[in-house]
Amino acid sequence: MALVAFTILLSVLPYYALSQAGTTLVPTIVYPYLWVFAILLVGPLFLNFTAILIAAGSMSEEYEQGTAELLLSKPVRRSDYIAGKFLGGYVLFLFILTLTLVLSISSAFTFFGVQDNLYLIPGLFIAQAFSSLLFFSLAFMLGELIRRSSLAYIFSSAVFFSSYIISVFLSAIFRATGKVVYKTVQMYLPTSAASSLPIQYALPRLPPTVSTALTFISTSTLRPTISFSIEILLVYIIVAVTIAAAYFLHADISRKLS
Amino acid sequence: MEAVTANSSAVIELNKAVKDYGGNRRIGPANLTISKGEIVGFLGPNGSGKTTCIRLILGLIRPTSGTVKVNGFDPITNHVEALRHVAYSPELPNIQTFLSPRELLNLISHELYFPDNANLSSEIDRVIELVGLHDYAETKVGKLSKGMIQRLSVAQALVGSPETLILDEPMIGLDPAGVVHFRDVFRDFAAHGKGTVFMSSHIMSEVESLCTSVAMIHHGKILFKGSIDEVVGKVLDYSIVELETSPLTPQTIQQLKEISGITQINVANSGKWDGVAIEITVCERNHDIRPEIADIVVKSGAKLYTIKHGENMLEKAYIEALKETKGGKP
Repeated sequence: MALVAFTILLSVLPYYALSQAGTTLVPTIVYPYLWVFAILLVGPLFLNFTAILIAAGSMSEEYEQGTAELLLSKPVRRSDYIAGKFLGGYVLFLFILTLTLVLSISSAFTFFGVQDNLYLIPGLFIAQAFSSLLFFSLAFMLGELIRRSSLAYIFSSAVFFSSYIISVFLSAIFRATGKVVYKTVQMYLPTSAASSLPIQYALPRLPPTVSTALTFISTSTLRPTISFSIEILLVYIIVAVTIAAAYFLHADISRKLS
Repeated sequence: MEAVTANSSAVIELNKAVKDYGGNRRIGPANLTISKGEIVGFLGPNGSGKTTCIRLILGLIRPTSGTVKVNGFDPITNHVEALRHVAYSPELPNIQTFLSPRELLNLISHELYFPDNANLSSEIDRVIELVGLHDYAETKVGKLSKGMIQRLSVAQALVGSPETLILDEPMIGLDPAGVVHFRDVFRDFAAHGKGTVFMSSHIMSEVESLCTSVAMIHHGKILFKGSIDEVVGKVLDYSIVELETSPLTPQTIQQLKEISGITQINVANSGKWDGVAIEITVCERNHDIRPEIADIVVKSGAKLYTIKHGENMLEKAYIEALKETKGGKP
């Protein structure tokens, strides 16, 4: 419920605030594309963080409450259980992503009139869903390894924000020094891959003015190619899911917290 | 798939099962066999390894060495096959507070791939009725009392008519009527050798009145397993006869002392009525001397109200067994 409330707030309030600011802050030429900004600017932070919030507690809370013990004492395969937990959490994330899209587009319509390039919605949805799978998988893995929800949230968030800060830092150094090594390291960070794909997909399909505005706002991330982003995302996702599954299938089931 | 080996009637088999948690925390080697139709009470002090054994049986933890078999299958590598007809009721489980008992049982039934959806509702009604939760079937778990949650714990285990029940302190939190009711439920479950019950408990009187056999565990090792009489006989070299009579003369008491096998006679005044409660310790367990005692009391002219074997012998044996393993300290 808290996530839904937060989603509504983040998807509606910015549009309302911008509409009150008038044309001085937002040029009228950008009005028909404002819905895109919600996904491309809010996504990297809010949606990836939402993925962490959902996934970090997915396994760990079951251990803490003892429900994992209760469920796994039934004739249920461990592989079915972990797959169910992963997919169930991811479906919840997809619901939040859908809600974000619907509310953003509705708010943009309400406060800034008819929106354009709506054919990008399916592609953006898929790109963001796939991108957020990286931090979803990392947080899921940490939740399984640590088995304490509070610690899993803290560690996952620490990875997320550290990666984000280091990424901005390396980007700035690269721009200042021109040394490729900083750009290379930055591209391998999880936040780079997780926040690049939707922008890489949308930018070539938007008018130059909007693309320039987006590039200007999101300069902190140096974007690799789409195929490179997908490869990095896949490596992180596969490694995280494999570790989580291997550990779960082999390790003892923790007892509930007393 | 593994074939059912050694003992085909064995539902649960622990063979030199060890669980080593590191440091001094080691359970086993534990050897235990539970056969079909038994109602086994699993006794042991806190930290003795009861829960670890149950978790080994349920495949929640791996044995460090030795083997565990449930219905002939390894509960880790063949979890589904091993536990297909086994159900577990944990002690006061944490259940999502926003669910009602009926909703929880529905979830569990779906999880178990309940074979016949048409009968699902009637199965849930049956289980709710069986554990006495009918008045609370729609109440959210968050509003249920401790006893009701324990009833729900047993209810979720009974869904789908399992063949083996593993119960962790099933009577905890129940009122006396609930205890009696559950005793009947478990007896019916195991009636005619149909079902097997393996229950851990600290309530000796419950175990004594319900179970057909007991297993005692201490420091992770199974000390004894057998019928209550066998286990008591292994630990205690005496039995007790209790009687209530009108006051006895010193001559009558002397006559009682002269019966072969009697080692001690304790006489206490009853606070409630005009008579005495007598506890007679007999060193020969297999020789029933009640007729001889009754004969002497009646011939002395005293009134004999009751005469019976001593109760709570299992508790006495349990305490004695612990004393032996701890060098005399209970």
